Amino acid sequence: MRAEAVRAGPATAIERRPASRTSTLYLFALPATLLFVVFVAYPILWVAGQSLYIRSGSGVSSFAGLANYVTVLGDPTFWIVVRNMLLWGVITIPVQMLIGGLLAYFIERHTHALRGFFRTMFFLPVVTSVSVISLVWVQIYAPYYGIAQEYLKHVGFVMMTSPIGDPKMAIYALILVNIWQWTGFSMLMYIAGIANLPSEVLDAARVDGARGWRLAVYVIVPMLAPATKSLLLLGVIGTLQTFPIVHLMTGGGPNRASEVFGTFIFKQSFVLGDTGSGAALSVIVLVVALVLSLLQIVTLGARLTPAGKERA
Amino acid sequence: MATLSIDKITKAFGSVTVIPELSLTIPDGEFCVLVGPSGCGKSTLLRIIAGLEPVNSGRILVDGVDMSEAEPPERGVAMVFQSYALYPHMDVGRNIGFGLEIARTPSAEIAERVRRAADKLRLSSYLRRKPRELSGGQRQRVAIGRAITRKPKLFLLDEPLSNLDAALRVGMRVEIARLKAELASTMIYVTHDQVEAMTLADRIVVMDGGRIEQVGTPLELYHRPANLFVAGFIGSPAMNFLNGRVASVQDKQATVRLALGPMLDIPISRPLEPGDDVVLGVRPEHILLSAEEHADAHVVEAGVVELLGSDTFIHVRNGEENLVIRDSSGRVARAGDRLAISLPPAACHLFDKTGHRISENAPTRWEPIPAKARIN
Amino acid sequence: MTPLARSRLRSTVIHLVLFIVLGFWMIPQVYMLSIGLRTPAQAFDAALFTWPVTFDNFVTVIRDNPLGGIFLNSLIVTVATVAIVVAVASLFAFACAILRLKGSLFLYTTLLTTLMVPLASMVLPLAILLKNFGWVNTYIGLILPYAALGVPFAMVILKSFLEDAPRELFEAARVDGCNAWQTYWHVALPLVRPALVFVTIWQFIVTWNEFFLALIVLTKAEMKTLTIVPMQYSGLYMANPGALFAVLTLIALPLILLYVLVQRAFVRGLLAGAVKG
Repeated sequence: MRAEAVRAGPATAIERRPASRTSTLYLFALPATLLFVVFVAYPILWVAGQSLYIRSGSGVSSFAGLANYVTVLGDPTFWIVVRNMLLWGVITIPVQMLIGGLLAYFIERHTHALRGFFRTMFFLPVVTSVSVISLVWVQIYAPYYGIAQEYLKHVGFVMMTSPIGDPKMAIYALILVNIWQWTGFSMLMYIAGIANLPSEVLDAARVDGARGWRLAVYVIVPMLAPATKSLLLLGVIGTLQTFPIVHLMTGGGPNRASEVFGTFIFKQSFVLGDTGSGAALSVIVLVVALVLSLLQIVTLGARLTPAGKERA
Repeated sequence: MATLSIDKITKAFGSVTVIPELSLTIPDGEFCVLVGPSGCGKSTLLRIIAGLEPVNSGRILVDGVDMSEAEPPERGVAMVFQSYALYPHMDVGRNIGFGLEIARTPSAEIAERVRRAADKLRLSSYLRRKPRELSGGQRQRVAIGRAITRKPKLFLLDEPLSNLDAALRVGMRVEIARLKAELASTMIYVTHDQVEAMTLADRIVVMDGGRIEQVGTPLELYHRPANLFVAGFIGSPAMNFLNGRVASVQDKQATVRLALGPMLDIPISRPLEPGDDVVLGVRPEHILLSAEEHADAHVVEAGVVELLGSDTFIHVRNGEENLVIRDSSGRVARAGDRLAISLPPAACHLFDKTGHRISENAPTRWEPIPAKARIN
Repeated sequence: MTPLARSRLRSTVIHLVLFIVLGFWMIPQVYMLSIGLRTPAQAFDAALFTWPVTFDNFVTVIRDNPLGGIFLNSLIVTVATVAIVVAVASLFAFACAILRLKGSLFLYTTLLTTLMVPLASMVLPLAILLKNFGWVNTYIGLILPYAALGVPFAMVILKSFLEDAPRELFEAARVDGCNAWQTYWHVALPLVRPALVFVTIWQFIVTWNEFFLALIVLTKAEMKTLTIVPMQYSGLYMANPGALFAVLTLIALPLILLYVLVQRAFVRGLLAGAVKG
């Protein structure tokens, strides 16, 4: 009983110490806090402030209220971006989960000697520099000398132009590259989930007679829910920060058809030098990201850990 | 309800042989406990019976039908796992009924059978809860409920009580004993806890190193252990082993001189030669203590004394040998006391060099308590 | 068919399918290498493989370009960032999970929001901030923002590892006379080593491949990192795909090789990280 009482006491031994010594303990938390304040919190506040100002040609800023937001929301490109981002998220996230999940399932449950080999090979696109990947895919998609049009025409799929040069096709062509690059990540998350499934529960399912697809649907998929939730959360944030693939492959073109938030902000802020609307856009992306994340955390109990597992 | 026959099975994981060759028959309706130290292969044997591990050779027969390659549901097994193995995403009701759901049982029948199991296990008010919202004891009952709704031919339990705390364990043990009476199905229970084995089993199978050391009722194992391993494994505190040498043999009786000192005449069932080395086993509770020295007694000095209230454990050190005496008389001994002990030959077990039993005695006979005595 | 034969057949089929999928999956990398190994005459052939192969392109681009210097830039930025992230995040996680300082949970939650901030919304303010600090075209101008953005993720992982460790260990250290720093160094860090390895490798990959901020902060040629130079080579070698893809292969290679070397430890950390509850 006494032992219980001691254990239940406030955070046990280490916490209770004189105030003077406690204060030095805050040194543990100081560096992280400093980095956060200077390089995350301050820039966010600054950009929120700037979004309310307009800089004239002569470099003088004047308060403009929500004028920047009105301008941005009135820009037809903004709505192309919104559409593209929706497509991006709605296609990328489930497809990556599906392919990554299937790969993980077969690799983890049906291979032994080659398990490490498959895990590594499918993950390689994640560690290949995105700028290299983008240029390789430009070459793959290229008309005349690219291999996509050359090989796809044998299966009855004739491409007259490069898909990234076609306003209707461009965004899908980019999404394909993105899926290819990041599926290995989904796979690894599910591999962690599957490897950590309690083996006795799987035995119990076998005793209950669940095999094959029914084992997968009724037992394995629900038990991988934590990994799925983390992937959803990471997928939404990843979608909103899409930049290099689009910037390097189409530059948001042709005719802004494949513009995403990243390239749009980049153009407004650094090409056109319009920090006011660049700031307004940044704030919009930030708010969208926070709202979507919090929504998932509250409704789904999603966690941002790589293979977060619910506490039993 | 089924008879299980295990016919010359062998099992190896890679190059490691876990079960060399093993045969065993468990008759219909028996509660059979597999017991042995950790790593003895008892859990592997249970998983083989369940159909979770394939055998390398040999057959598993249920009611005479070869089931060696059948999946668990075809064998008609249900199993309670050590960690309970409840599906974390399903509520208690669905956990209990999942096996029936997979077997495509009509949902009305599932509901009815789940309800009955829940009533029996006092889980009715928890049917909508998830496993993580339950206590350890409740999870344990859900795991049992899941097994009994299947109406299994073979009911397998893999160390089901080892994750519970001591008080709960006693309660669940009684509950399982009651279940055994109600279900009348063939039950196979794995444990390393000999109290569970002794109290629950119709028959105990003692295993070591993948081999069966002895099969018998709890009292057979206690009174007539087949070898040194079983003798040392069953009983707490463990049986004392004393080295001795055969002085003379005459007419199914050997006279043994112990290193400790005394000479004892022990009835034997197998031939011995004078001069053979033997091991004499005597349980701590069978050593007689007397206050004064007498002819048959041997005087020793008490070492560490453990007072348990009901019993006193007295540890005696004599040269290389240790001896534990369990005294239930209520007297209090202290370290350094001189004690006169005697070993009643009828309670002594004799083992040869290879560890096999050679004594014939069946020391204390088990007799029903007369009804009159019970009432008093 | 016996169950053994059936399971062997199923395993063969699954392996076959996995190899076919992997074959398609590897096309971009194979294609990249294949173009890099072509003679100028074949460079524009619309084929995955051509014959013969030549290493001339690799020789040319290694001779003509300061790849070593660029590699070194990437290495400096990445190693420094990883070191800062691991140190800072583990200190903070220790403060939250073990010391349980007052207010640390609030700080933790606040820092967590960083994970929900897309870099796209941070580049503009960071660019201005770094310009004001005079940190454009400096290593530190990339290292500190990368560290600030990397700490929260590392902190989440390390904190949950520390929380899963038996608390008695830290109490034992206290009883043995360790102060907080000694407990951190001698008990906490060794205890979470798989997590530290995982965090180190992951942060290394992310930092090495970061593109957006590097593009904006590094404008001087001699400061550029490996991720942002491919663009300029695509202009330089427009007419010579063989050379371009040779250089791309060289740029991609270091991290791929590194990952292959450490993947075992990386996956082990990831698997251990999921063990909770």
